[in-house]
Amino acid sequence: MDPVNPWLDPAAVRHLAEQLLRPVAPAHPSTADPGFDDSFIGFISAEVATPAPEPPVSAPFSATLPTLSVPPPPQAIQPTISAPSRTKFLQRFYTFRDWLAKNHQATDIFLLDREGKVIFDESDHGRFHFMAKNLACSTRAVGNVHIKIGPSAILELIPCETSYGYIVLGAMVADALPAAQIDTITKFLIQTASLT
Amino acid sequence: MISIAIVSQKGGVGKTTLSVNLAHAFARAGLNTLLVDADPQGSVGLSLTRQSRLLSGFYDFLADPSIPMERLIVPTRLETFSLVAAGTASDYDAGNGTTGAHLARVRTFLFNASTRRYDICLIDTAAGLFGVTNDIISSADAIIIPQQAEPLGIRSLPKLLEGLNRLRITNPRLNVLGVCLTMLQQNLIESAEAASALRHLLPEEMLFQTSIHRDEIFIRASAKGLPVGVLENGKNAETAFDSLRAEILSKLAKSRVTATYQPH
Repeated sequence: MDPVNPWLDPAAVRHLAEQLLRPVAPAHPSTADPGFDDSFIGFISAEVATPAPEPPVSAPFSATLPTLSVPPPPQAIQPTISAPSRTKFLQRFYTFRDWLAKNHQATDIFLLDREGKVIFDESDHGRFHFMAKNLACSTRAVGNVHIKIGPSAILELIPCETSYGYIVLGAMVADALPAAQIDTITKFLIQTASLT
Repeated sequence: MISIAIVSQKGGVGKTTLSVNLAHAFARAGLNTLLVDADPQGSVGLSLTRQSRLLSGFYDFLADPSIPMERLIVPTRLETFSLVAAGTASDYDAGNGTTGAHLARVRTFLFNASTRRYDICLIDTAAGLFGVTNDIISSADAIIIPQQAEPLGIRSLPKLLEGLNRLRITNPRLNVLGVCLTMLQQNLIESAEAASALRHLLPEEMLFQTSIHRDEIFIRASAKGLPVGVLENGKNAETAFDSLRAEILSKLAKSRVTATYQPH
């Protein structure tokens, strides 16, 4: 009796092994970054803590954000997004996504729940999710994390406590976002998640 | 300096034996070799130095990167062979198992080592893909995967391959040199069948031709705190590691692996 093959999927294992032997394409093989030579393979840095504020009653950043009506915050914290509200949430998230892309030149945006499950993903970089969740969780008390993953590609991870529970926003940007912009994005994301 | 991490999903597959004896094989070939014990159990240190528990080591550096390399590096009787023990802080909280917590310090350590004119840095890691081990894989130039030639061990392979594929996102330059069969017992049908199954399962270039056979001489060598080749009757085992060394050097040359950490 074959002692191994009945216990695993040989085709899947072979595929994984072949994947490891192939070179990894850079996420954004675009312009060269004069600050880093070919030997640079990335770094991680944590920003200043971004406290999770209460859902804003008024939008002080309404000059730059789309206008959204803000109902009272929900009474009970929901651990995950339930099916009916998920659809509504996603509809609002598209507005947020468009704003994020337009105002911060963000691409490859994705959103994960506390378990790392995908809520929204336009990134086509599913392999980032595991890393994103782990990094965001490990720096939860500190705030957002950005990782240099290419010459002009930064993966920005913004963990955020919302009325739907803990979520992680991921987006690709050309340069690390300053703390003030992270704060604005966090507030808008909380606002987006607070609406019912 | 080329840094090579020895990694496995499962414990007890012969990682430390492979690390110690492969490092010795590189050193005997005249390559300046640094063996780093990154396993909090401190197995390399226990194998080679009697006072390893008193030495500052890799985990002390992670806790305090101001410790100079000179305090970490332990010379051996072979001029080209040095080691860094796990250290007195090896029970130090290794980042709660989270990835990325020590990435910058692991890279600093490797850079510092590269300034000491080492050709090869072999890193014996803790089993499993988490915490510091992940940070090492995210920093090394290459990895070798020892795989025990027995069914249970091979069944853990998919999980390891999945994890390594994920880690290559943070280290796209990582070169997977291959899987090395260890503890092979040709006279035991289950072991021989498991080895055969693995050869059919993996692409040919993923598996080293050299296998390490189970041999009581490894236990005797470990008991004396020596690489196996130093013992009487250790020549056969030593030849296997020489053969593995040759395969590794050939793969490094073929895949044109270049050192990430170079002194300025």
